[in-house]
Amino acid sequence: MTIADLKKGSLFIVRRVRVDKEIGKRLADMGFVKGAQGQFIRRGLLGDPLQVKICHYNVSLRREEARGIEVDLVLPEDKKKAVRVW
Amino acid sequence: MVKKIIKLALAGNPNTGKTTLFNAITGARQKVGNYPGVTVEKREGFRSYKGYDIHVYDLPGIYSLTAYSIDEIVARDFIINEKPDIVVDVLDATNIERNLYLCVQFQELNVPVVGALNLMDEARERGIVIDEAHLSRLMKMPFLKTIGTLGDGVEALLDKVIDVVEKKAPLPYAVSYGHEVEEDVNALTQIIAKDLSFQQKYPPHWCAVKLLEKDARADEVLTSHAFASEIRALALKRIARMEAHFGRDASVIVAEQRYGYIHGAVAEAVVRQPLDKETVTDVVDKVLMDRVFGLPIFLGILWIVFQLTFKFGEYPMHALESFFAWMGAVLSVLLPQGMLSSLVVDGVVAGVGGVFSFVPLIVLLFMFISILEDTGYMARAAFIMDKFLHIFGLHGQSFLPMIIGFGCSVPAVMAARTLKSPRDRIITVMVTPFMSCGAKLPVYVLLAGAFFPDRAGDIVLLIYVIGVMLALISSWIFRVTVLRGDSTPFVMELPPYRMPTFRGILWHVQDKTWRYVKKAGLVLLPASILIWAVTSFPTSVDHTQDVISVSYAGRAGKAIEPLIAPLGFDWKIGVSAVTGFAAKEMVVSTLGVLYKVGDHENKDASLRQALRNDPVFNPLVAFVLMLFMLIVVPCFASLAAMNAEIGWKWVLFAICYWFVLAWSLCCLIYQTGKFFGWGL
Repeated sequence: MTIADLKKGSLFIVRRVRVDKEIGKRLADMGFVKGAQGQFIRRGLLGDPLQVKICHYNVSLRREEARGIEVDLVLPEDKKKAVRVW
Repeated sequence: MVKKIIKLALAGNPNTGKTTLFNAITGARQKVGNYPGVTVEKREGFRSYKGYDIHVYDLPGIYSLTAYSIDEIVARDFIINEKPDIVVDVLDATNIERNLYLCVQFQELNVPVVGALNLMDEARERGIVIDEAHLSRLMKMPFLKTIGTLGDGVEALLDKVIDVVEKKAPLPYAVSYGHEVEEDVNALTQIIAKDLSFQQKYPPHWCAVKLLEKDARADEVLTSHAFASEIRALALKRIARMEAHFGRDASVIVAEQRYGYIHGAVAEAVVRQPLDKETVTDVVDKVLMDRVFGLPIFLGILWIVFQLTFKFGEYPMHALESFFAWMGAVLSVLLPQGMLSSLVVDGVVAGVGGVFSFVPLIVLLFMFISILEDTGYMARAAFIMDKFLHIFGLHGQSFLPMIIGFGCSVPAVMAARTLKSPRDRIITVMVTPFMSCGAKLPVYVLLAGAFFPDRAGDIVLLIYVIGVMLALISSWIFRVTVLRGDSTPFVMELPPYRMPTFRGILWHVQDKTWRYVKKAGLVLLPASILIWAVTSFPTSVDHTQDVISVSYAGRAGKAIEPLIAPLGFDWKIGVSAVTGFAAKEMVVSTLGVLYKVGDHENKDASLRQALRNDPVFNPLVAFVLMLFMLIVVPCFASLAAMNAEIGWKWVLFAICYWFVLAWSLCCLIYQTGKFFGWGL
């Protein structure tokens, strides 16, 4: 599952950033690293770009970039714990 | 006593209040320029403090020290080449992990670093408690708390800077990349350190990390190393080992280890109370970023900004114009009749007047832009526009210059600086003139009014729409031809909404205005004199003819007549197009002179009548001429602004493109129209 597949409001943990050219490195620099937790906030009018919260800040990325970030969903029962961390 | 000089580089992520802190440290003593060879602003400030002369260099706002953008390259080259005594890294205390990520990379560059934990007021509100003493111990560098907007902590920061510079303590290798990666880093460091002259310039440890990160620039500088090929081979081996072990790209592994190190320190020194309620930003975003209402709200804000700028700007603009007209009148009385008077009045005064009459627009427009930027809305607007613009190979942030282009190309081109990728910037600048500026409107109004009296409004609107379409299509053409390459990623921070400060806005406006006056003045004044010269020389002996038609411009118009005949134009139109380079509204006044309508109250009506009576003109020619004016080279002032942003080579290319496009499109439409008998 990648960030592009997430639903509004879902919490996630980054599993892996696939590197396609420079962009993967950029995403890692911006905080999309293994184990980082975040939340999917919203998508734009035509489904693109996406707004995501990671490392306590909001960032926008296009769907094509979001497809390179593999994540694990944080399930609702773990939600309380996850919210406390972030 | 000679004061000791301290070279201080001020660095940090964007949106950390770095500029505010810079102003708080240096006050008004600053100068602005560009870093050599690139259009990245170089801001320098000075501060005398406790017997020290502190030179503050404001580095561009960046997130990392890779070779990702010009800004990052500029920042790291500055550290390597200029060797500042100290780096003050401004950190957003509400978002400390990502901010520390840059900080540790400065440490790696073997330069003393002091961390300024800025925006502490916001952090406190959000329940973030930072033990800076503990953080300093963990990260092996001092951290201090500051609130740049209030000037809090600035003196303590400077005290610390002096303390660190005076002590000259050996710099520790703070960052630990974890057991596995450290081994690779050390192996590379040892062999890099063998070349002593190389080592003096580039810190070996830093170079080793950069090679593992597959940094292209590090690989480039390595060429000067005595053992370059051995090092490269070793780096490749180590990268392969790392990637096999971790199952990820080496550059990502390095980033992860760095974040891992930071997470460790932050977990110990920072307490973040869980927030039950949403932040103000989250709530405001729900409205402004709404999937459906976001776009209309954005368009509404844009409309208001535009209305305010051009409504309010009109008064001072007209006042300045009449002031310069009055000055011209006074001078023409004072100076003896003849060439000198003509040069001063029609050349110099008109030129200077042309430069200054844009100033009110620039002041107002950049005031609104800086408000939108400082509040954080600009990034949201780029988010909203990105999908649409991306289809044509543009970037979400291109919307701003393009929209401003409807007012005036000069501030529009200057606004293109917000685009980080040179490719996006060049494309945006080259298509900005297709957004019909305010000065083109009188030309459209004259022609549409004369030849489409019943549908003048629709025709003008049609021209505007064609302009927007040409801008989008041209961007796409550039993207697939001369400016090919991967599109710039859209990984853009959406900063929290913040209240803009009055001083911040004032400073921004002043900066932009001054830059415009300097740049435009240098080009526009000579250009204005040139236009004056070609339209008034050689002087007419025969007084039955007006000066313009026998002047060089008139002759040029006649000479190019065969060239523009396929578009249905005669030499009079040619001359008007030439004078249009000085300012687009001059097309109307030149036509006025050529058709001898004189300077009376109804000159607009009589010019319309004169055009209708001329057999050269018909609705088809009028339409083609409007189109020609839309596409052909913009005025000198905007060319000057473009030259400053994208360089003369691209300006030259753009000029050719505009000419070719204008001519072929107009020719196509005219010839097709003539064939089918449209509007004849």
